Amino acid sequence: MAAPMERACSWLLRAATPARGYRAGPLKYSLGGVYQPDPDDPSTPKWQLQPAYKAKMFGRYGSASGVDPARLWPSPEQLREMEAEEREWYPGLREMEAALDEKEREEKRQRVQREKLIKAKMAKMPQLIAEWQQEKAARKQQVKEEKAQRARLVAKAHEHFGNKVNPSSPQFQELVQELDRKERKERKLLKKQQKEAAEQAAAKTPAPVSAGEDLAA
Amino acid sequence: MPSAVVWELPLPMKTETKCKRGRHGGNKCGRGNKGYARGGNRPRLGFEGGQTPFYLAIPKYGYNEGHSLRRQYHPLSLRRLQYLIDLGRLDPTQPIDLTQLTNSRGVTIQPLKRDYGVQLVEEGADIFSAKVNIEVQMASELVVAVIEKNGGIITTAFYDQRSLDIVCKPVPFFLRGQPIPKRMLPPEDLVRYYTDPKNRGYLADPSKVLEARLELGKKYGYVLPDMTKDELFQMLSTRKDPRQIFFGLAPGWVVNMSEKKILKPVDERLLKYYSS
Repeated sequence: MAAPMERACSWLLRAATPARGYRAGPLKYSLGGVYQPDPDDPSTPKWQLQPAYKAKMFGRYGSASGVDPARLWPSPEQLREMEAEEREWYPGLREMEAALDEKEREEKRQRVQREKLIKAKMAKMPQLIAEWQQEKAARKQQVKEEKAQRARLVAKAHEHFGNKVNPSSPQFQELVQELDRKERKERKLLKKQQKEAAEQAAAKTPAPVSAGEDLAA
Repeated sequence: MPSAVVWELPLPMKTETKCKRGRHGGNKCGRGNKGYARGGNRPRLGFEGGQTPFYLAIPKYGYNEGHSLRRQYHPLSLRRLQYLIDLGRLDPTQPIDLTQLTNSRGVTIQPLKRDYGVQLVEEGADIFSAKVNIEVQMASELVVAVIEKNGGIITTAFYDQRSLDIVCKPVPFFLRGQPIPKRMLPPEDLVRYYTDPKNRGYLADPSKVLEARLELGKKYGYVLPDMTKDELFQMLSTRKDPRQIFFGLAPGWVVNMSEKKILKPVDERLLKYYSS
């Protein structure tokens, strides 16, 4: 396509351009008409046969470019693809608003739930604080008692052995164990005595079952 | 004839400095005295002679993380807008659009640099006195109040990247020979902004927008001028369709600059697609 045009306009070119040197190459520009890339010629670049190039030529030269304007719009297949892409990636306004409303509702629900939980737990706080104060006092008391007990034991050991005893020495610990056993025996005896006293008291007085029956009647 | 002439000594005495003549400054050529700097053997930029350099000593923090994904809006002050109108670069008798702003070189938008449009800024709110129908991408409450007080209309509209490129540079787009695409809807983060009548969003309910205008007048203490009695009411009330990029041109049309023609599609499917 380029060669016949060049031959046709060659006398024009010769007339229009100044004298160029011997063996000057062919001119890169043409004087009239739009360049039409030859699809059969293997040396035309591939990008000149693409639809985007044709659209550009139409944009620049209009109908003189020889491009069919109907080709400027997408073909049915391309249109289908575009519609599918839009349906997937570009949701409508209503759908987006619905999704946003859903998100907000979810976020609000979670916030309200968390606040309720915090409120319930905070309501228990004064009681928990009071309990803790009591526990603290009890712990202090226990520590005091333990100290007192240890002091008593040390005093007893002191009067036993006569001089200051190291609490971690084995003799001290043996003494502590002996005292423990004695205390337990005393406690057992006390319990036994109390039981016997209670049984005797029960045997003396009449059975309390009849009094209960009278009351029920 | 005086016996003696007395004049003041020009102290301090200035010695004439010979100018350095060479192409690169002459004499030491701005390189100073001995050292590796003279021979051009300096270490890399940021090197501090072995001490841990500043750019390594300071710990990392994500100040700029994701900066290339953040939307940017070029600021346009009301002062600059007034300046452009006063100089005649912007025509207040026509709707002012991003295209008009770009054509008058009032702003330069770079869609490829994550610009999403123009935001109106409050600088010059006290001197603004023009009645305009303006469409921007973001505007604060004071700016909206100022424009409406002067009898104008402001709308905030969203342009996706491709539409923004087309709006800012219409002629190169028309030379491409492509049909005008339809403008896409804003992403989810911006839907709430553009459906809010307080921001005068283009997707908001028009009746709610009117209510918002009255409320704003009450808040800032001005009376809304009645626009139906205005001679430019027709122009002031023109607004773009959410899918429209240019005033007077619908999506799907091909504009040819060389022959000054507009080509419109006739196929049903194309019409349905471009008008959805």
